[in-house]
Amino acid sequence: MKQIRVFKVTAHLVLLAGALTMILPFIWTVSTSLKQLKEVFVFPPTLFGERIQWENYLQISERFPFDIYFLNSLKITIIVVIAQLITSSMAGFVFARLRFRYRELLFGLYLATMMVPAQVVMIPNFIIMRHYNLIDTHYSLILPALVSAFGTFLLRQFFLTIPASLEDAAKIDGCTPFGVYWRIFVPLSKPAMATLGVFVFMGIWNDFLAPLVYINSQMKMTLPLGLASMQGMYGTDWPVLMAGTVISIIPLITIFLLAQDFFIKGVTLSGLKGE
Amino acid sequence: MRMSRMLVIVMLFSLISAACSSTTTNNTVNTPSNTPDSGKKIVTLDFMGWEASPLETESVKKGLALFMEQNPNIKVNYQPVPGAQYAQKLLTMLAGNAAPDVFFLGATEYRSFQERDVLLDLTAQFELDMSLSDFIDSSAEIMNIDGNIYGVSSCTVSPVLYYNKDVFDKENISYPPSDPAKAWTWDEFREAAKKLTVKEGDKITQYGAFGLENFYMTSAEILSNGGSLFNADGTKMAINTPEANEVMQSILDLRVKDEVSPTAKTLESVGMKANQMLQTGKVAMVVDGSWALQELATMDFPVGVAALPSFQKSTTHGQAHVHSASKNTEHPEEAWKLLKFLSSEEYQIGLINEGLWMPNRRSLYTEEGIKKWYNEAVHPEGFKEMVMFFAEAEAYPFTLITENKVIDIINEETDKLWYAGQSVDDTLANIETRSNVELAK
Amino acid sequence: MNAENRLTAPSVPMRGPTPVSGKPSKLKKLLHKDGTWAFLLLLPNILGFLAFTLIPVFASFALSFTAWDMLSPMQWVGLSNYTQLANDETFIKVFWNTIYFAGVSVPAGIVISLFLAVALDQNIRFKKFYRAAFFLPVVSSMVAVAVVWQFIYNPEYGMMNFFLDKIGIRGPDWLTSTVWAMPAVIITSVWKNLGFNMLIYLAGLQGISEDYYEAADIDGARWHQKFLFITVPLLSPTTFFVTVMSFISSFQVFDTVFLMTQGGPARSTSVIVHYLYENAFKYFSMGYASAMAYILFFMVLVITLIQFWRQQKWGIH
Repeated sequence: MKQIRVFKVTAHLVLLAGALTMILPFIWTVSTSLKQLKEVFVFPPTLFGERIQWENYLQISERFPFDIYFLNSLKITIIVVIAQLITSSMAGFVFARLRFRYRELLFGLYLATMMVPAQVVMIPNFIIMRHYNLIDTHYSLILPALVSAFGTFLLRQFFLTIPASLEDAAKIDGCTPFGVYWRIFVPLSKPAMATLGVFVFMGIWNDFLAPLVYINSQMKMTLPLGLASMQGMYGTDWPVLMAGTVISIIPLITIFLLAQDFFIKGVTLSGLKGE
Repeated sequence: MRMSRMLVIVMLFSLISAACSSTTTNNTVNTPSNTPDSGKKIVTLDFMGWEASPLETESVKKGLALFMEQNPNIKVNYQPVPGAQYAQKLLTMLAGNAAPDVFFLGATEYRSFQERDVLLDLTAQFELDMSLSDFIDSSAEIMNIDGNIYGVSSCTVSPVLYYNKDVFDKENISYPPSDPAKAWTWDEFREAAKKLTVKEGDKITQYGAFGLENFYMTSAEILSNGGSLFNADGTKMAINTPEANEVMQSILDLRVKDEVSPTAKTLESVGMKANQMLQTGKVAMVVDGSWALQELATMDFPVGVAALPSFQKSTTHGQAHVHSASKNTEHPEEAWKLLKFLSSEEYQIGLINEGLWMPNRRSLYTEEGIKKWYNEAVHPEGFKEMVMFFAEAEAYPFTLITENKVIDIINEETDKLWYAGQSVDDTLANIETRSNVELAK
Repeated sequence: MNAENRLTAPSVPMRGPTPVSGKPSKLKKLLHKDGTWAFLLLLPNILGFLAFTLIPVFASFALSFTAWDMLSPMQWVGLSNYTQLANDETFIKVFWNTIYFAGVSVPAGIVISLFLAVALDQNIRFKKFYRAAFFLPVVSSMVAVAVVWQFIYNPEYGMMNFFLDKIGIRGPDWLTSTVWAMPAVIITSVWKNLGFNMLIYLAGLQGISEDYYEAADIDGARWHQKFLFITVPLLSPTTFFVTVMSFISSFQVFDTVFLMTQGGPARSTSVIVHYLYENAFKYFSMGYASAMAYILFFMVLVITLIQFWRQQKWGIH
């Protein structure tokens, strides 16, 4: 089985090289964030400067309200995730289990819009928000995201896999359709909901275009937008800018590391859906 | 499942604290409401500007504090917006009925905004309280749109030539003159730059000059050669002329042929701004806007300011943002009071004093006027000779047209000239054809 | 998926003991009807869908035939936006830039992530560590990635040229070169999304039965033969799916370009969505931008239809 051994070693090397390529930029970011400006421009690059320059972090936190950015992002993301889980599961249930006229036609419409690029609806949505004076408010980021064709589709597919026998049993016991939804389908779909939740979380948290278009005031900015505006000001002050970058990616990386399995399962599920 | 439960708890907790703290944050962000005195109604004006530097915001806030002292019934809520895309943000707010009452407006956007009919017509009050002849030519020309006023500027800025006196002393070269009448010719400038460039081995450790590839500066040199960017009524490009061609070629040669100038983007990507390049002596001369003086003066090295090298005539261009009011403001009278204050000598002097601005009122260019703002700690020796350079500047050409796509076209084509080897002839030809398409719209 | 094989629910449920009141009330009847709940549960979703998706899709189409800057009155211009786009030098440039970007980043990303997935599938230790490491860039925000990579591409002091120097190549001025800026953007984009596609391939690989490989071993197949003749063909549904998804998302690239190069130098990295954004929110040409959006839509439609037909042809699903 030497072939297998060679295989495994090669595999390890390839993966190690790959993993390093993934991680090295992050290590570099942290290292730069702890240096002074003049220590950054040395060749060959060093890992540490003369001393650990924690001041960079203090400086950037004083100039930019990272706590506000973080809370804004958190607030918007959590509201959207919860809302999407609710609306998608309700609609998914209806499409999967309740019969009514035009059901298939309507669902087909949902499917069709899934392939419409976001930029197509971006401008009319902007006009709507402007009309209701919601520009530069968090509503403009939350409202369009409360409902998702993708989420509806995902949960409908999942609900279709729930055996009919469970449902029939509930009906015999006198459950209304809502009861079937709430007492049977929802509890059973925890894994699917968790993966959808995590997907949506990642998407909204890292969303850049929508806040860029809608948000103007600094205090309303989300974390990605805040970081981008920081780059505008500190464009060439790399250590301070890197400190800000580190601060801004820590939240999602932490959440990722804690809930790794959910993320990964979500990706694989979405991949299998296409087969 | 313990991890996920903990996650949920963490989330809920954060959500609750987010809800609570966002209200507290709102309280600290909003200006605290004062108890009105003597029953007079307090009017709050939303004033929006961009933050070019923390120093500038400080100065603006000081000025506003003075205004509020003088006008106890008006509260000004100043909100600086981080620089990039300021004009777009402002236009979006104006389009969305969420506009500030008073705001900065870049001189190059002034006319296009007015065309969209979102600015308050200030002509009547302006003519009551002041007159266009109070201002230097360039400012007056910019503010005046077909006989009406929609914005008032508080200062002027122009490209100038900065130099590091120590480097000049080291190489034993005499300083470039501040007096525009005695300004260096282009050839004199080029010779000096060559002498100031030091090579060690095959690496250049000291460059002669930098900054002219920024079109803001380039255009000043084009004007000095008698060239122009647009025709008289701003409907066509007039840049494809031998004069402009000569200027662009000379600037390109500085870097490519004479090797006295570093690449703009490379040096900037090393984290050095123009000021730092000058301070550290990496570059001996830098062409930059007069606003840079505020920071340069604090940088602890002997900086000098001189008139730009001239081709045919010694000139520069001048412009500055105006302050305007939204057409739909609910407080037009109070807005005018603020606008008037912002263009007053009182307010101007605070910022001119620090080197950020130059005056745009003629009264500040007289002997007594100059004394009011001249600051030995900031303005280098000989600066007095330069003062008229600003007063007599031409209006920055881009402020007189309404099509802002032209600037993007010029930047794109000059990028190709500076970095991708496109010839000067092609660059100018392209700029002209493409811009004329836009201007015709 | 599979057809529902259940009884159609009667509008009045059969229950054990008959209620005392005899016939069930009208309200109760309503509460148990499928239609009622279908309406109620679907309502929020439909409202949102209509307001922010369906109607905007049509509104956008209508807008593409107008000229409007949100402040002046709207003007009907018919097809002129589209004809203008066909002659717009800048649009043609960004269109080809988009094709360039997609055409390089998608194949590169797929090939690399496939190899990585195969490597990871070899039952090696530290699988979780590798998975996490590769997924790290995926979860990071594009803003952070852009900032970091801008520094990496610094021609004098960045990591990229440092490593190139180590192998004897003098690295170019990446982000300031009209030739190398797009490759730089492509590299960053591939780097960021590698983990995502790798995981999808991993799932696909695990669906391939060991039997195939064992049979091949018996026949004395070498590793590259197994790879080419078993792995790759059996993964074709996955590959297909990943390819289509990647193309669609790469047509829509914006963040990377906007944050790293602002479309420069000289528009060498500007893509369709970037130009769209500028037209909508910088120049306020809403009609023109909407026309662009529809052209983008059309591109995505073409790719999706290809997927649809291919799927039918191969009898999948």
